[in-house]
Amino acid sequence: MSPRSPLPRTCLLIAAAAMVLAACSPATSTSLQATGLSAQPDGWRGVPIELDRALPDVAFEDTQGQPVDLGEDFLGDPTLLFFGYTSCPDICPIHLAAIASAMGEIGVSFDQIDVVFISVDPDRDTPERIEDYLGNFNSRMVGLHADLDTVQEALDALDLPGPIIEGPDPRGEGDLIGHPAQVIGFDSEGQAQRAWPFGARRSDWVVDLPRIVDEW
Amino acid sequence: MNVAWWCSGTGQVWTWRYTPFLGVWVVAATLIGGYVWSHRRAGQPIDRRRFRRWVLGVIALFVVSEWPIGQLGVGYLATVGIGRYVVYTFIAAPLLLSGLPSWLVERWLPEGSRRQRTVAALTYWPVALLIFNAVLFGTHLPVAIDTFKTTQLGSFGVDVLHLGAALIWWWPAMRPAHERNSIQEPIRAFYLFASSVLMFVPAAFLTFSPLPLYGLYELAPPLWLGFDPVADQQSAGIVMNIVGGFVLWGIIATLFLRWAKEREAEDRIARRDRDARTFARMADLEHGSVDDEDATKPAS
Repeated sequence: MSPRSPLPRTCLLIAAAAMVLAACSPATSTSLQATGLSAQPDGWRGVPIELDRALPDVAFEDTQGQPVDLGEDFLGDPTLLFFGYTSCPDICPIHLAAIASAMGEIGVSFDQIDVVFISVDPDRDTPERIEDYLGNFNSRMVGLHADLDTVQEALDALDLPGPIIEGPDPRGEGDLIGHPAQVIGFDSEGQAQRAWPFGARRSDWVVDLPRIVDEW
Repeated sequence: MNVAWWCSGTGQVWTWRYTPFLGVWVVAATLIGGYVWSHRRAGQPIDRRRFRRWVLGVIALFVVSEWPIGQLGVGYLATVGIGRYVVYTFIAAPLLLSGLPSWLVERWLPEGSRRQRTVAALTYWPVALLIFNAVLFGTHLPVAIDTFKTTQLGSFGVDVLHLGAALIWWWPAMRPAHERNSIQEPIRAFYLFASSVLMFVPAAFLTFSPLPLYGLYELAPPLWLGFDPVADQQSAGIVMNIVGGFVLWGIIATLFLRWAKEREAEDRIARRDRDARTFARMADLEHGSVDDEDATKPAS
């Protein structure tokens, strides 16, 4: 009987070592959070905001060119506020799709909760573009825009970081813009109550949306 | 150029920039190289028909594991993810098994060896049915998908599990009749049909759940605006149910028809032999060549 060749075993060992090395190193700088939000002690999925923050008194324009005062025009109903931009490839469409889909699933209407999207990219986001963009999720979402200084003023009032250019979009659609990744919930008196960071899933929203309607 | 070992959910924006998965190339080369090497080492000629099936099985694995299908299926679209499972289980595994010659199986699994006893225990059909369905259900639980498919090692492990369970499951149904644990009709038809029915359970969860079950696909950067993860999930359920079901039922029908044809051919030969003997006997009687004593002798 001829001695067994050590080649296959060696190859297997090399392949296994390569696999472990490659597989243990992070594939990307941003790892995917696929687990959703964990429940808070009070049962909500949104994270409570301890600071005293209200809808800022900053003037914007909606997609029809009408002036909107953020601090006044949304009082009376709970408001979900989100800062984003229409070329955003991930956080914005995922948040907006989750909210729209969950509202549809449990029958919460846009008459009961205002969903407001403020563009942090005034150069690219024209009113028409914002309107088309929101139409992909629900045309009753409110799109607002203003110059960057005004947007920054609103962000500062809420202690949120300003938009920064992160570099070219890998899809070749201009630059990626870093922006706050959370949706902020305000009660009907305009007081900030909860935030939903990126990772909030439809299953999180269907828990929180009825409570927003009932309690805020 | 990005290079990775295996496809996994990365959370990165999808682009059409090629990302080779080295592990897929290594596995494919090992499977084909190992097949040829085993034949050469044993001094056996390669049966072209079997080799073709083996290579087709490897190609099926390669296509659904390499970029772009592997990446789309693991990181972006549940439909493609389930499609990968269907290909692994119902196309690649039976092709690989039917490409294995008996002598190679006997060589790898010498009678009485521990390896052979392990394989024999795993491929006993009730055990194989249990393993296959445990892997099917277990690896499609949301917690399993969301945990394992977000790392390359986890995703590779799940793919290995899928292929391993499929090979174990197909073994009794695909291996030749003379091999241990091989099952034939009607048990084989029942065995395969039972699995196709059990597969409806996870498929139904996917199709009828009103919310996305998998955070991996729900939170992945969408491929297009207005992408709906629930519609994607429903489509994944349909792929598992209809496509997987049709492929499996097609295989069940093919195996059953082949079995029926073989039985019919055996019956035809037996009938022809019996008729030939009867005619010969009648001819003998007509020519009076049979002794009266023999003709009247009672059967012993």
